[in-house]
Amino acid sequence: MFDTLKKIIKYPRLTQDYPNRSLTPASFLGQTEIDTAKCNFCGECALHCPSQAIVLDKSARSIGIDYAKCIFCILCEEICQVGAVQTTNKFELAVRDKVTLNNHALCANALRDTPLSNKSNGESFYKTAVINEENLPNTSYETICSDLQATVKKIFGRSLQIREVDAGSCNGCDYEINALNNPFNDLERLGISFVASPRHADMLLVTGTGTRNMQQALVKTYEATPDPKLVVAVGACACSGGIFRDTYATNNGIDALVPVDVYIPGCPPRPQAIIYGILKAIDRVK
Amino acid sequence: MTSNLKGNLESKFALKVFSGKEFSETAFPLATNQVNINSQTTLASDKDNSQHVSFSDHDDKFWQEQDNVYYLEAPLAKVKEICCYIQELGCPLVLMFANDERNFQAGYAVYYVFAVREEGMLVVIKTKADPESMEIPSISNHLHAASGYEREIQDLFGLVPIGHPDAKRLVFHGNWPQGVYPLRKDFAVGQKPDFAQEKIRFQEVVGEGVYEIPVGPVHAGIIEPGHFRFSVAGEPIINLEAQLYYVHKGIEKLAEGQSLEKCLFIAERISGDETFANSLAYCQAIEKIAGTKVPARAAYTRVLFAELERLTSHLGDLGGICLDAGYGFANFQFQMMRGWAYSVADELCGMRFLRSVNKLGGVRKDFVSGKEAKLIELLLNIRSELEDTVNIVKSNSMFIDRVENTGILEPKIAVDLNAVGPGGRASGIRYDVRKAFPYAAYPNLNFKVPEHNNGDINCRMNTKIEESFEAIDLMIQAIEGMPVGKVCEPIAEVKPYRFAFGLTEAPRGENIHWVMTGENNTLYRYKIRTPSFCNWPALCHAVKGNIVPDFPLINKSFNLSYAGNDL
Ligand code: SF4
Ligand code: SF4
Repeated sequence: MFDTLKKIIKYPRLTQDYPNRSLTPASFLGQTEIDTAKCNFCGECALHCPSQAIVLDKSARSIGIDYAKCIFCILCEEICQVGAVQTTNKFELAVRDKVTLNNHALCANALRDTPLSNKSNGESFYKTAVINEENLPNTSYETICSDLQATVKKIFGRSLQIREVDAGSCNGCDYEINALNNPFNDLERLGISFVASPRHADMLLVTGTGTRNMQQALVKTYEATPDPKLVVAVGACACSGGIFRDTYATNNGIDALVPVDVYIPGCPPRPQAIIYGILKAIDRVK
Repeated sequence: MTSNLKGNLESKFALKVFSGKEFSETAFPLATNQVNINSQTTLASDKDNSQHVSFSDHDDKFWQEQDNVYYLEAPLAKVKEICCYIQELGCPLVLMFANDERNFQAGYAVYYVFAVREEGMLVVIKTKADPESMEIPSISNHLHAASGYEREIQDLFGLVPIGHPDAKRLVFHGNWPQGVYPLRKDFAVGQKPDFAQEKIRFQEVVGEGVYEIPVGPVHAGIIEPGHFRFSVAGEPIINLEAQLYYVHKGIEKLAEGQSLEKCLFIAERISGDETFANSLAYCQAIEKIAGTKVPARAAYTRVLFAELERLTSHLGDLGGICLDAGYGFANFQFQMMRGWAYSVADELCGMRFLRSVNKLGGVRKDFVSGKEAKLIELLLNIRSELEDTVNIVKSNSMFIDRVENTGILEPKIAVDLNAVGPGGRASGIRYDVRKAFPYAAYPNLNFKVPEHNNGDINCRMNTKIEESFEAIDLMIQAIEGMPVGKVCEPIAEVKPYRFAFGLTEAPRGENIHWVMTGENNTLYRYKIRTPSFCNWPALCHAVKGNIVPDFPLINKSFNLSYAGNDL
């Protein structure tokens, strides 16, 4: 008992105060960027990219990385002969709008500068057949959805219950979500906690490609979650299928199955990148 | 007993045993033709060799290429007898897989892989399934470890194991149509068959007061998906059936026809927390085929990363066991140390999951130089904290009461099912790939393999604790003993239709990859068997007779990977 107390006193606080304080600049690898000014458009990187994430238009002399697909393997940096590819330690990459992740020529900069407040999420609801039309009154989708979004944020702003769903991951992303509960990240300090059942959840944190065998379970979990609800796609797999795209057993991202509010790129995204994405979904970061 | 296994096999069954190299040349004439065009001289000398080869010649150059693997082609009718014979000698079936070789000899080949662990040798029986009837004789009644493989082969290739005690679907659930087999070469990887609606049948236990508890696939904790069907009478569990493969992504099919380079990144993503063990197994297989000798510095670096992965994984498991027993303080201690282990990873390569470290022929860059002192300091810090924590945990009698004699995996069952890794070692199996099939720099380093016999949670926990200490010591040895020099011997080109095994000891145990190359530096077939595949059935046995609330605890003490099993 005495030893236990000694340890408790020895380590009173390990928690990193992210996002209030930014992480101490570290050597970790984050977003890979291509400098169009240095690039000679040889196309080697696009040829070798294991995730076919590099979009290249030689004639237009334009190149960019689709961060929804990128698995952050830094192979392109290794391959590039002219040093145009650089890996930064940027990790706050979550976005609302998937297009922002693959906006071809814009990808290098657009990601961080998107004005978040005036982005509407309405369109993501069009993609799904999950919302039952008869249940909606005679107003337009847009109005309902934008009202709904506002309410969601008001309701969830200070306290949020999350249910995690692994829809076919390699378990990397799940371990990083797990790490949100460790003493370093301690998500509960932000009023966010994980719950055991989707029926108690406000948000689904989904990893994995949405495999054929998990498809039904994911949709059912979504339906079991009471409205209003948010869905966050964690990792390259959930955003686009990642390296497992286009096989007989996978979907290319979970937005083929359920509407997604925020996409967090990475393979896997660091725990802080996931925190950033969660906070973005409930508008607590701008 | 096993020392003359090769000779016995040859005389008893009148069959010829080949080394891996000879075998690939006789079995895949297409490859020889191709080589013929490119380099006639090498071929001629190879052929010469194969005629005069005797086994003692091979033993001399044991370290070379694939010379510790012996192949034997047997007719379908004899397979069962041979397999039983080898098993009786105490050599477990460690892998069984099929390969669509219709391009070469109009048929599907089935490979049965046995490990002669005392001698660091693999014996592979190859047979051809009848292309008309698409049937193979099941060996599961005699070799229980074969059961899962045979069901897998049935789902992926459509080869029916005749006489299998319960040959229901494994990989596919009710949504997959009958008669579609994705690993056949004529199935395109992107094909998406229509959804079928077949009901899944579970093992049924009937009797007064017996009821079923279905759990999953979406669980209460933050873990991967799987469905568990418990049959219980009151509290104790009578039977547990695990339906897995919810995260089946078709990795083996995806890898076919892809470049060797890309497949390395796929291998890294087989199971997130075993990234390094899997990528290393893959690299070793390709390096064997290419005949590349990895530079010494790379071999030491690989040990460092492999042990770091083991340490991280074990610390997480130990924390998990404590958490599930309601021992929050200890959980936080282990999680704290796990966090420190992650910062060692960040320090080394900037990635928490040790991805983009391995490269065919070595490692990507010199990750260690200049950081030695810092790394050793971090590691010693973890070591002393671990010592303190383990002392506290072990003196907590309430906690020890809970884990002692809970979730016992009987040694007999462990042997029959080929339980591997800490799960097997806790049940009396004395086996570690790092000792039996030494790789990387392990032959030059000192370490002990834990030995336990009781097979309960406590033994698995102690195994993991001891292995964590060994891992830290190994890392420090590797850092200190690391010679200077280059870290990669690039591999330019690999011959088509050659094959090799890559074996590593993943944090969860024996990890086997079998790789067969295709034309133009691609893969023809990639068979992956992670330790989880062997240990899932063992877990289902270990929970029997325990009460339902102990299931999470027992499950955590194995901490198996769903992704690594489902592929
Ligand atoms: S870092 Fe991203 S873009 Fe670059 S090669 Fe890897 S997956 Fe492709
Ligand atoms: S995004 Fe990467 S880490 Fe996450 S599940 Fe997919 S492969 Fe694993």
